[in-house]
Order: sequence, then structure tokens, then C-alpha cells
Amino acid sequence: MKLVTFSHNDQERIGALDPIGRIVDLQKAFACLQRESKTIPDADEFAVAVLGRDMREFLEHGEKSLEAARESLAHIAASEHVSKKCTVLQPNEIRLLAPVPRPGALISAGKNFSDHVAEMASKKGPAAPVAFLKLPGSVIGPEDDIPYPPEVQNLDYEVEVAIVIGKTCVNVSEAQAFDYVAGYSVFNDISARDIIRTENRTGIHLMGKSFPGFAPMGPYLVTADEIPDPQSLRLKLSVNGELRQESNLTYMIFKIREMIAYWSQMELHPGDVLTTGTPRGVAAGRKPDQSSWWLKPGDLVEAEVEGLGVLRNRVVAES
Amino acid sequence: MKVYLGLLESSPPDHTRIFGELEGTLFDVNLACAAHLAQSPAERASAYALADFYFPKNIQGFLERGECARKMFDQVIAFAQSQGASKLRGPGGEKVVHEITKIRILPPLQQPNKSFVIGFSDRARAESMPRAEIPTAYYKLPQTLIADGAPILWPKFSQELDADGCFALVIGKRGRRIPAEKAWEYIAGVTLMVDLTARDINRREGLTTNNLLGKNFPSSTCLGPAVLIGAARDTIEAMKLELFLDGETKRRFSLSDCVFTVEQIIARWSILGINPGDWLAVGASMALSGDRLHSAVPLKIGSTIRCWSPLIGALSHRVVSA
Repeated sequence: MKLVTFSHNDQERIGALDPIGRIVDLQKAFACLQRESKTIPDADEFAVAVLGRDMREFLEHGEKSLEAARESLAHIAASEHVSKKCTVLQPNEIRLLAPVPRPGALISAGKNFSDHVAEMASKKGPAAPVAFLKLPGSVIGPEDDIPYPPEVQNLDYEVEVAIVIGKTCVNVSEAQAFDYVAGYSVFNDISARDIIRTENRTGIHLMGKSFPGFAPMGPYLVTADEIPDPQSLRLKLSVNGELRQESNLTYMIFKIREMIAYWSQMELHPGDVLTTGTPRGVAAGRKPDQSSWWLKPGDLVEAEVEGLGVLRNRVVAES
Repeated sequence: MKVYLGLLESSPPDHTRIFGELEGTLFDVNLACAAHLAQSPAERASAYALADFYFPKNIQGFLERGECARKMFDQVIAFAQSQGASKLRGPGGEKVVHEITKIRILPPLQQPNKSFVIGFSDRARAESMPRAEIPTAYYKLPQTLIADGAPILWPKFSQELDADGCFALVIGKRGRRIPAEKAWEYIAGVTLMVDLTARDINRREGLTTNNLLGKNFPSSTCLGPAVLIGAARDTIEAMKLELFLDGETKRRFSLSDCVFTVEQIIARWSILGINPGDWLAVGASMALSGDRLHSAVPLKIGSTIRCWSPLIGALSHRVVSA
């Protein structure tokens, strides 16, 4: 399934794409199914209880909500006669939000592709997985703009894959790691290199990675069953149509299963997101001159991952 | 005045309530507010609804209501004191006053957008450290929070655990890019925070300027027990906290021991935007040797950590194996 969070009539809803790209409102579709079976009197409220109020609750509900979503989608596809008003929507009737608009924790890997480690002039790759926290509040969706803050001089992009956790896990083994993944999405780790440089002198980077809008994610959460080999996904990023990054997750230093096993030491929960780190091609790594590659207001950034879609955001000056 | 967040014994986890203190007991601020409003015939019919408006289910919601709720809070306190703990009841005779042991106290702020600790802010320690020019911070995940009395679970991945005692300044007003001279207007209160560090992991992570596993494991952030609301700036500046290990004082700290001023901290971190219920913490480390690489007073299984400040109360935690 391609799961989405979307806004319709100013309400945040959870949904899934049908085979021709329409958006099915999952709560409404499930309520519709219940009404036909005539066993539940308050089908709408029951749907919220089963599916959760938002994507994080949907993921917390685990197999039960996933099964309900699958049933609802199948039911909608099979019944031509049901009223589809507000249940099946055209893409132009809604606005896609980040599939997980409020992750519990957003853990981003650093220095996780050797070609990127080299371009950033680091001596060598790390001995253990390296990651930092981005603020969950910096997440934006595929139809949002990236605000360019006036404090920033060197704004950069980083295409990554977001791994969305579906089950609570503590100290899991690498062999079991994939059992805890709900799905995958495209992620862009927007970074203010100049701010990070000042932060690194005396501490750790936080502000430089976490301005509002510095974590575009989307367009969908593709469930794990549709991605048989996540470790070999191709990913690329272009700015105004010019290709800047192109690689494959196969070149990750710490693989997805190692990342999950390692970070599960701090306990991961449904709706937490790990991101893979980025390959070479960021503006900060350009030789000899970086200046023409920094993002600027008006730029269109397109991050694409095989099977996960395109995440397209425009940079706009903060008003 | 102190506010607590808690659950009645019979409540499911999301039915949290705000409590105030009265004669050594806790009272339900929402119901006391309803009782106060119901005294006036004009407001009797809407007393419960208005009480829900001013005192929603958590402290963050109360702070979001701003000045009007802060004023109502003062009225409710005065009303509760005039009634006394033995007489205080809701408009329909509901039980409002509870023994403190009957309430499950929770971390007062559960889902902050920003829960930051300002790094290298302890003057005693910073003297032997590279001088920090700007207040850098690290983020403590809300999922690591525990309340007063809850055990600290020794993480399996660490051999060396220590604790910092901190004041967490609680934000009461939404703002962004706040000029230094207005910083104090955004501070609604203060609470205590004990910041656990897996020092061996932290040391290793420091080499790559990251700070994650060593600072964010289950039970690595103790917050509470109450938020002191509405204290004047000079009161907050004069407050002291004491950090005890097994009953022995290890550190004392007040805001004047911080390398950075509140104005500098708010001006810097409000660049990202701050919201009611967010908190920014500064404090003193047990790792007193002054050397980032060694903690002078590591904890042990069975150690008891206590962080105390007279106007807020105390956080007490025992270290147990996970």
C-alpha cells in the first residue's frame, strides 16, 4: 500500500492510494464497510478507534489497522455503487502532507556513504553508526515550500530514504530488524552548513538541521511488503532539473538492518523515523567552488527514490 | 504557585489532570475552577465548560490559554484556600482534593516541541573547557521522560552513567526571533530536570559531534515534580538547586552559575520558534573533574539521585538495572 496523510476541507486525514492514483480516505472507507455489515451502530467513531486519529496512531495500532486498511481498499475497489463522495478523492481535491507529519523521533544518519564522507573531507568513516536528531516539528510534506531562513548563508540538500518504524523495538538483532519496519518514504535532510559549522565548534549540531521545514518527507509511506529489497534502492536528487546526487542504498556504510539494530538500543516506537544518510553530490562537497550550488529562494529540489516516488519542494524566502 | 500533572488511580493514560497544592494535599484545578465559577449565578450553567477551557487536560494546554488562564488560576488558588481542603468540592459535590499518594504524578510537560539542554553552560565546568561563544544545545526526546520517583534504568550499552541537575525554563508564549530584552516575557515558569548521560557513549559520540544514544535512552530525562508558575524574574534568578547522590550534596547550581544569560539563550533558540510548554534547561554536572572525558562521580546500580529546589520540590530516583 501507498499510505498518505492528506488535508481535505482543512482536516488532516489518513488515506491510501487506489490503483489509479486516487486517494481513499481510510476512515471513511472503513466506516462504509462497517455500515454495510450493519453490526456497528456508530461506524465513523468505530473507524477512528480501529484506524487511529493520525498516521502515528495508525502505526501504533499495528497489524489491526493495516488489515482494516487493506480490507477497506479492496471493498472500495469492488463496490462501484457506494457513494464515493469524500471517500475517494482526486489528487487535485486534496493536499498531500508528510505521510508521518509528527514522528516521535527523527533520527538521521550522518557520514553513512563513503563517497559523501570523502567529499566532506572527513578522514574516515565512523566506527559505529553516527546519527543526530532532527526536530520532528521541522517535518513538511511534498506540497510544502522549504522556507529559507534569513540567518542562513549556506543552505544544502541531502536526498535520503526515511525508514518508518512500525513496532516498538529494543535491542533487536540485525536478523530481525526488518520485522519492525512499517515502510519507506523519500526524505530530504535540509542542512544549514554555516550554522552547523558554528555549532560544531563547541557542541553538536541541532539548529543547523532543524529550522522549520528542514525535513521534507513524502509523498507516500510505501509499506514494507512492496519493497522486497530496500537495501538496493536507487536514489537521486536534482536542483532546477540539474542532477546533483545519484546513488544506491547498497553503498551505505551501516546498512538499514545495522542502523535499526543499533538505534533500537535507545528504544524505537511506531512512528519513529530513521533516515539513511546521503551519498555524494551535496553543495558543501563541490570542488572547487560551492557557491553556485547552495540552494537559494526559487530553487526547485526534486528528490527521487526508486519505487517511493518523487519529493518535490520549492525553496522560498521566509517572509 | 506549583502545578502538577497527574492521573487519578482510575484514569486511563490520556485522562491527565492539572493539580495544585493545598494544605499538603493535591486538588484538581479544573474542578476547583468550576466550583469557583458556579458561585456566580450568571456562570453556573457554563462553569464546567469554562473550567475545561482554562484548564484543559494538561499543563501545556493551560499555558497555551495565556494570560486569561493565568489570572483565573490565581482566582482558583484564592478560592481553594478560602474553602480549605476539607470543604473544597466540585459544583456537583465531586471530590476535588486527593491525598498526594493517590495521584500518579507525571512529567509535567509530556510532548514539548522543543526540550533542549544548553551544552557546556555550567561555569564551574566550562572553565576547563573550550569557551563556548554561542549557547549550543542538544535535544532530549520526549519519549525519554520519567516522573519523580520512577526508576532510572541502567542502559545495557553503557558502563558509565552520571547525572546533571538542571533548571528547565518553561516557555509560556509563542514567539520567534525574540529580542534579548524581551526574553523574560516568554518564560512562564521553571521546573527541575535531571539529565542522565551514558558518559562512555557520549565521549565516543562527541568525536563525531553527535550526541544521541548517550543522552537519549529510556528514563534518561527526569522532569518535575511540579512547574513553578508565575514566579517573578528575581525569584527565579535567586533560586538554587542541589544535586544529591546517596544523600550527599554533589553540586549546587543557580542561574548565575550559567555561562549564558537567559536573554542569550532565548534570543538564540527562539530563532527556530518557541511554543508554550517547550523548555530549555541549564544546569550543573556531576562530572566535576572538569574534564569532558571523565566523570568524577559515576552512578552505580542502587544509587539514589535527588535534585531539590525549595520552591519546586524534589526529584528522587533510584538507579536500577534495566
